[in-house]
Amino acid sequence: MSARPAADEAPIAIIGSGVSGLAAARELMHLGFDATVYESSNQIGGMADTQRDPDGFIFDTGAHFITNRFATAIGIAPLCRTVHRYGETVWSDGRAYDYPFGLMRNPRYLRGAINARIRSKRSVETAADQFRSEYGSEIADEVALPLLEQWSGLPADRLSPAVADKLPGGILATLALKLSARATNRAVAIGYCREAPQSANVWHVYPENGIATICAALTTELGDAVQTGNPVERVLTTDGRAVGVVVNGREIPAAAVISTLPVPHLAALTDEESLQPFRELRYRAMVFVNIMLRGCDVMPDTLTWTPGVEFPCFRISETTRSMPWLAPTGSTIITADFGATVGDSTWTEDDQVLEEMVLKALCAIVPSARRDFLGSRVLRSAFAYPIFDLAYEETRLALGRGTGIERLLSVGRNGEFAHILMEDSYWRTLRQVRALAAQLNESVQN
Amino acid sequence: MISSQRALETQPACCCICGTRDAEPVGVGEDFEYRTSPDSFLAVRCTRCGVVYLDPRPSMNELETIYPDDYHAFAFDEARFGIVYKARSRLEARRLLKALSGLPSDARILDVGCGDGFHLDLLRQSGPNGWRLEGVELDHRAATIARQRGISVHQGRIEDADLGQSRFDAVMLIQTIEHLADPMRALKAIQRLLVPGGLLLIVTDNTGSLDFAIAKRRHWGGYHWPRHWYLFNASSLKELATRSGFETVDISTMTSPVNWTYSVRNALDDWGAPRRLVDFFSLESPVALAAFTVFDAFNTLARRGALLRAVFARAQSTEEPLES
Ligand SMILES: Cc1cc2nc3c(=O)[nH]c(=O)nc-3n(C[C@H](O)[C@H](O)[C@H](O)COP(=O)(O)OP(=O)(O)OC[C@H]3O[C@@H](n4cnc5c(N)ncnc54)[C@H](O)[C@@H]3O)c2cc1C
Ligand SMILES: [Zn+2]
Repeated sequence: MSARPAADEAPIAIIGSGVSGLAAARELMHLGFDATVYESSNQIGGMADTQRDPDGFIFDTGAHFITNRFATAIGIAPLCRTVHRYGETVWSDGRAYDYPFGLMRNPRYLRGAINARIRSKRSVETAADQFRSEYGSEIADEVALPLLEQWSGLPADRLSPAVADKLPGGILATLALKLSARATNRAVAIGYCREAPQSANVWHVYPENGIATICAALTTELGDAVQTGNPVERVLTTDGRAVGVVVNGREIPAAAVISTLPVPHLAALTDEESLQPFRELRYRAMVFVNIMLRGCDVMPDTLTWTPGVEFPCFRISETTRSMPWLAPTGSTIITADFGATVGDSTWTEDDQVLEEMVLKALCAIVPSARRDFLGSRVLRSAFAYPIFDLAYEETRLALGRGTGIERLLSVGRNGEFAHILMEDSYWRTLRQVRALAAQLNESVQN
Repeated sequence: MISSQRALETQPACCCICGTRDAEPVGVGEDFEYRTSPDSFLAVRCTRCGVVYLDPRPSMNELETIYPDDYHAFAFDEARFGIVYKARSRLEARRLLKALSGLPSDARILDVGCGDGFHLDLLRQSGPNGWRLEGVELDHRAATIARQRGISVHQGRIEDADLGQSRFDAVMLIQTIEHLADPMRALKAIQRLLVPGGLLLIVTDNTGSLDFAIAKRRHWGGYHWPRHWYLFNASSLKELATRSGFETVDISTMTSPVNWTYSVRNALDDWGAPRRLVDFFSLESPVALAAFTVFDAFNTLARRGALLRAVFARAQSTEEPLES
């Protein structure tokens, strides 16, 4: 490693000990910088959390896969199991269609999609336009848009077209990856990562002891640089530059500040005028209703999209189809995802009522659901998905160019306000941290 | 993937030319050849210099583990490899003599990373009698074999070896530079050992090759997971040498069947192909080697051969040897 010029600078302050905060801290250490991670909660990990049931069921907050490449980068590959298969279906008119290509077996959808391809493109201003022009109005109106609306809690014509990120590589590449997954018996990661190339050699894996393994591994080298139970109360700035944080009422100088908080929270911790617009960015909350059942492979595939009005949730997954070890032998976990807003009727609904709602809808797909029911467990996540509301599109795009405050990074899924998974978050965070490190080195030399 | 084997201790790495970690992921693989650990490894490419390197890589105290006793560079003998040994010896002797053809008849030549002394032995047998040959080898097992062959070997790292200054007319790094922890430091040390104008011959796996382009995501033989720590193409190798005080005499690519053979073997092994098929692609298989030699000869014509072969000279302009 290049020797750091002797710096009398304060350590870099990192806010949050989720994947991004820990990855930032580890990279800074590798680059020869001092960093301190402040975490408000009494445990590390943030959203990458695993909960266990005494009966042997394992729940993550949401479904969690990582890739063999990410596992390798953070040194946990030997602790991971290969996921052999992963697939998505759409439940429509009482049957399952493989997603995305299986939908083309429906002649109406096929005709619509072909028409959309041939027709000259109209200008695209909203997510609704975007889906209609990509997939045709039939698929858009009956499948994609209802899902999108439940998922984000806004009508599709009020959402940015950026929510409809295209499959990286296009249709042919996607087909080739699907074939390679068959041939290699590995769940090749498709459309999962944009920061690093897709290939037949990048597939899903899952840490043996749950997703919490990731953050545990990232902290091993960090020692007491991670301070749990220490919320950051303010971020201090002077002349448009981050200079420190306030923790437990104490001002702590910092060479730079790296935040992994939801960006509106970061904005609320500073007095900087220029950050205040970020306070209007909003996130969709999510309620995950986990149903434990006897049996296995009861759903059509690992993930089933449920656009129909008869479903109170927008998707149902059976993660054990991909990762059988998440449930004891002979049983399975079905997870129904509900979009919500913190405090609304879904968010505050009684667990038993949610369980009953899911069981009732589930019977259309799994007729034996009630008979095989073993129990349920409801998890909630307040910051599940950034909402790409057109009302604040300019602000969202501005954030893409950085915080505008010198030596203040806002990284991670919620910090970047982006629909990115852990691996992308990881590469993006490393890139930004390395650039920050170079900048700090330069200013020491001058 | 979960195995009872012990995971390696690893450490972060950086680009050996610019010293930064500004890199993007390229490939992920495992020790397909020797299965010395349950780990998988990540190759990244420096976005500034194009050097491909392992990050993280095994710690120095894992060398005994990742170079097992039956490692081929320690155990490439005629008894086991038969006709392949003979063919390779003849070919390599010819190539070496060609590269070193301008040297005086009493030249001093140093082979860095001489392994079991294979190349020095070739020079002893087929070069001028007056050549004075020495080797440097880090691994004590290999150094012992080389000494048993009657070759003078300094055991240790080139940066640490006490070999004086401006003593050698030529230094060879034959399939060695990719194994080093700090190639720049090694080249600077070599630069000091050479007489002004003295030659440095480097042979290494070529990341500008067709086989790299095809297999770089995982199975490329040249990764030799996790033993190759830095991998070059013509321009990054030239940059490294220039920054270490060398002038470029010649850089070209060279035909070799080895990486092709291993790329196919690794893929078959990884995908669980029948053992007999996997084993057909090995250094003990003359048919596979011959076929890939012919094939790679065409790539070499297109300047995309499997190996890079570079000749550098200690820059005349630097009167004083470089600092480390
Ligand atoms: C439903 C769902 C499914 C997902 N599935 C996948 C998947 O399959 N694969 C995948 O790779 N990714 C998945 N993700 C994304 C992944 O969970 C996140 O990208 C990742 O966990 C985010 O990590 P982070 O470090 O950016 O943020 P967080 O994990 O949110 O970390 C922020 C941390 O900051 C702490 N904090 C908050 N306020 C303060 C304060 N004032 N002071 C100090 N600390 C504070 C919090 O306690 C938290 O620990 C999924 C996400 C969701 C919602
Ligand atoms: Zn570099």
